[in-house]
Amino acid sequence: MLGENDGPSMISYATTGATYGLGFFLPFIVLTFAMAIVCQEMCMRIGAVTHRGYGQLVLQRFGPLWGWFAAGDLLFTNLVTLIAEFVSIRVGLAYFHLGPGVAAVLGVVLVLFTLSGGRYWRWERIALGLAIFNGLFLVAAVLAGPDWGAVGHAMVTFSPLPHGSLNTLLLLLASTIGATVTPWMVFFQQSASVDKGLTPADVRHGRIDTVAGGALAAMFGCGALIAGAVLARHGGASVNGLGGAGFPAALRSAAGGTVGTLFALGLIEAGAVAVLTISASTGYAASECVGRAASFNNSPRNAMLFYGATIAVALTAGAIILIPGAPLLSIALNANVLATVLLPVTLVFVIMLANDRALMGSRVNGRAANVAAVAIVAFVSLCGSAYGIESFLQTVHLIG
Amino acid sequence: MIQPDPEAAREHDEELIEFLERDQLVSDRSRPVKRADLGPRTRAALWGLRVFVLVVGAMVIYTFVAQLHG
Repeated sequence: MLGENDGPSMISYATTGATYGLGFFLPFIVLTFAMAIVCQEMCMRIGAVTHRGYGQLVLQRFGPLWGWFAAGDLLFTNLVTLIAEFVSIRVGLAYFHLGPGVAAVLGVVLVLFTLSGGRYWRWERIALGLAIFNGLFLVAAVLAGPDWGAVGHAMVTFSPLPHGSLNTLLLLLASTIGATVTPWMVFFQQSASVDKGLTPADVRHGRIDTVAGGALAAMFGCGALIAGAVLARHGGASVNGLGGAGFPAALRSAAGGTVGTLFALGLIEAGAVAVLTISASTGYAASECVGRAASFNNSPRNAMLFYGATIAVALTAGAIILIPGAPLLSIALNANVLATVLLPVTLVFVIMLANDRALMGSRVNGRAANVAAVAIVAFVSLCGSAYGIESFLQTVHLIG
Repeated sequence: MIQPDPEAAREHDEELIEFLERDQLVSDRSRPVKRADLGPRTRAALWGLRVFVLVVGAMVIYTFVAQLHG
């Protein structure tokens, strides 16, 4: 679950804080993680009961067409999101005067290193070891000296409500949801549960793991927003004015060098962990949808497609960030929005699988899980489409 | 003849699964899953959602590209 706090997510949260200060979006992050926990619990449970990844199950249960659609969506959004992860590493490293080439090499070498062990547990321990440093955002938030009264007020009342441009508000709303509930995480959570060897007997522990990870990730995500909100107190910040290495540098000016440094290191960590999880989810999806071996426990010779797709997508994304003049912040936010827009189809299949008594036996969704899951799909669809349609109509000058 | 209770049979299966080794469970993946029988309404709803997200996704991409050139 900590992998959800990827680079674009933390940039989204901080941008939200810088744009609107402490208010509605702070508890909204907690709400989105509650949504993520519901979705990921279903994926973990399906993986533990059926011993099949999401792609494999959709392919076998609903036919090749829907399986390939699911894989196609994921490959596309994964590539875009992975570019955004490399952007995040690049933004963090730029604070230390290191160029995009270092970011690209660091990300790809990390992927190669974690793949070299030949066991799932080794990969997981490296990813978890790195993910601990996600807590840097919380430390940065504390050191930034926020108004804790305002934090508490926002958490309880969801206020003050955001104001200003509707388009920016919808962008940040969709982006915040897409930062937390993502198509790649559905693939990853289910496939990783299978790769880890979870069985129905492990579902209880899987739930504890999912909720604990979600709580930690929500705290760290709130930390990024609180740190970003310091910029709102210092004259505000426009969403488009914080590209490049802007965030950590702006925080250094507003809250001191330590906060800027911690934030930059946090962005590198968030991007690095997500480079691992997203490239792995691409490997899982590509292999499962053509019925090939998809496991870290297989040797590269026995799972060539899994290893090849994992490395290829990381290499491609790493190469793209080397293009000079790329709009970094815009890529990061739009990657999340695109994930939000494509998410409903993925979630509908998760709900169908979780209610499939022939597959799940007595471990099908209960009524409360179904109500929550359907509400999440409706909410995600509404937010994603509202931004997509509103901004499109503005772009083609059909509305002002 | 007494028919077996399906719920009891399912519970028995789950007890059995809990005693199996992990490798045996992983090998279970090679067993094909039966294709779901989707009704026409479900199919129509899935296609509707599919087309909807593709159209909105195209709008987001168009807007993003237009903003880059704007």
